[in-house]
Amino acid sequence: MEQIVQTLILGIALGGVFALMGSGLSLVFGVMRIVNLAHPSLIIAGAYVTYWGFKLWGIDPLVMLPIAAIILAAIGVILYKLVFEKEAKSAKYSEMTVLLTFATAMIVEGALGGMFTNTQRVTSPDYATDAIFFGNVFIPTGQLYAGLASLVIIGALALFLKHSRFGNAIRATTQNRDAAELLGVNVNFVGIMSFAIGIGLAGAAGSLVSFVFSFFPAKHWEWIAVLMSLVVLGGMGSILGTVLASFMLSIVAAFVGAYFGSTWSSMTFFLALFLILLVRPQGLFGEKPELA
Amino acid sequence: MIIKHLLNATALAALMAAPVAAQEGPIKIGASLPLTGNFSVAGSKHQQGYELCVGLINERGGILGRQVELIVSDNRSDPATAINQYERFINVDGVEAVYGTFSSRLTFPVASILAKNGFVHPVPAGGALRIYTQGHKNIFYFQPNAAEYVGASLAGVLKDLVPADAAPKSAAIISADDFFANGVWSGLMGEKVMDPADGSEVADLAPGYLADNGIEVVFSEKWPEEGFSDWLNLANRVKQSGPDMIIGLTASAEEAVQLTRAFKTVRAEADLVYLSQGTQAEFAEGTGESSNGILIHTSWHKDAPFEGLLGGEPFSNADYVAAHQAAYGAVPDEDSAIPFAVCQGIEQAMIGAGSTDNAAMGTWLSGRSKDDPVRSILGRFNWDDTGLPADKPFLMTQWNGGELQFVYPTDEFEGVNPMTYPKGSF
Repeated sequence: MEQIVQTLILGIALGGVFALMGSGLSLVFGVMRIVNLAHPSLIIAGAYVTYWGFKLWGIDPLVMLPIAAIILAAIGVILYKLVFEKEAKSAKYSEMTVLLTFATAMIVEGALGGMFTNTQRVTSPDYATDAIFFGNVFIPTGQLYAGLASLVIIGALALFLKHSRFGNAIRATTQNRDAAELLGVNVNFVGIMSFAIGIGLAGAAGSLVSFVFSFFPAKHWEWIAVLMSLVVLGGMGSILGTVLASFMLSIVAAFVGAYFGSTWSSMTFFLALFLILLVRPQGLFGEKPELA
Repeated sequence: MIIKHLLNATALAALMAAPVAAQEGPIKIGASLPLTGNFSVAGSKHQQGYELCVGLINERGGILGRQVELIVSDNRSDPATAINQYERFINVDGVEAVYGTFSSRLTFPVASILAKNGFVHPVPAGGALRIYTQGHKNIFYFQPNAAEYVGASLAGVLKDLVPADAAPKSAAIISADDFFANGVWSGLMGEKVMDPADGSEVADLAPGYLADNGIEVVFSEKWPEEGFSDWLNLANRVKQSGPDMIIGLTASAEEAVQLTRAFKTVRAEADLVYLSQGTQAEFAEGTGESSNGILIHTSWHKDAPFEGLLGGEPFSNADYVAAHQAAYGAVPDEDSAIPFAVCQGIEQAMIGAGSTDNAAMGTWLSGRSKDDPVRSILGRFNWDDTGLPADKPFLMTQWNGGELQFVYPTDEFEGVNPMTYPKGSF
């Protein structure tokens, strides 16, 4: 019983971190139809911002979180203007963004490697390797804090999307870009800001990643398939779906690892991606794709 | 007819002149390295090692009176790209020699290409035994031994440094499912090593170093080579198995950091902890005091009093450390030192052969002996018929107080530190 409880806790703890990592990716796809393969590389960028704040000035990664989010959001605006804005009206926009973001990921990786070398880094606040024990069962404080921070940010985002005027504009654009534009929504501005928020979430996730995992510029290749599986399972564009998928898959992966071996735990994400595309391609909360 | 003869004569003259022209330019040497992708941490350090060595050689007047031009390409940690780049070096760039790449995974396929083209293949990092049982003639490994035999050093530590009445009786062994780590695993667990090409048996390592030392394996598991993130779960199950000794066959410093931090979080304890990677400075930075007492094998240590050669003149390990610090502002680790030794070996082969002819260089390297070895910052090298170094032990190091101390073997040279035992908590 203890092992079941422990495995459940570890799965939930990991799911909290993945939830924030995937949310930005989901938001950007939902509003912009951008399949952002560069999202994990921008999470790494956020982790570096946090790392240097911690390393140079001893600023706690959780305190660095809003700073990393703002810096990455600003980078998101620049990136959108440079890379995506011109192609926004293209009939093959989503397809093109796959190639554009793939190239962006490589550029970001190269830039990070050039600036910070390929040496792996990690921030080490005391709570990152501590745990709260209840007998033999423990809750890792690093993952606990990361998960809580993640849920607070996602909750705030959900409130913003639901109850603010600009949030309504984002949701309207997500549901039907053309109709939103006809009703007077400045969809281009909404797009830019949504992209900035999405990349800002990547920056925030990077702060959490910086003390939960070690990282280096090329680490993002390991994450893209995991994050895509979360977003696809949740339903492309559904933040709630992404959050639920993060917890579901992380818990399942933890049990698979505990009872079938570590080799299979990573497979859980890819198997889920395969199955969901086969059985329910729109994911748990996504819209059913229209047939051409 | 006269014109045809003239054209033939001109072509012949051009053909004869071509090698002469090549001999007058710089010596081009190609190295395909994983500068991006999963091996980028080590690959970047290999680039530093090669570039520093070539720079110092050129400052000393080059090799055989010619400057050296190093061509480095990023293979993105991808074997197919590494193969293509070495073929390009040879067939398009016209390199006269090559330096090896990083990791067994990349070295294994590259070895066949270089053998087919008759190039000397100096290997900085490719410890899997299977690489050296393919029958390649001009392959030379610049580390102490194949991965399968790393366990001998751990067994030596247990036999020579651990009191018999306090020796570990049980072990948990966990490993990356990686070419190199699997090799170390095979040696420790006493498995058969098979040739992936035809399924034939390369070596039978039974009973294995652990069984040989009376150690019972109470937990064993591998994690996938890429994309693994469930470190706490794994560390907790190791802890639950209650081993006296923890063996973590990490394939990179990054994995060593993740694993050590996870052990600290779950409050695991063990008398002896051995990792197969983690000599790098970033391991100490990422793990802090948790690293204390962790044993890691290595091919190189900054304090080892090895005497090498560079530009035909003495160049000690201490000289190398100073040069690296001056160039890069940090103390090097073995990922930079090993490629530096490769570069020294190729320089000595060219000087010894009197040319850049790879067949002559291979003959010269094969002819090295214990008394007349290649002299590098990793010590002396001579090789057996397979390309593995002869009679060269790994060094065993241990982190203590943020310093990587050399603890074994005790009779290799002076400056050996006493080993901390037992380790206890992380």
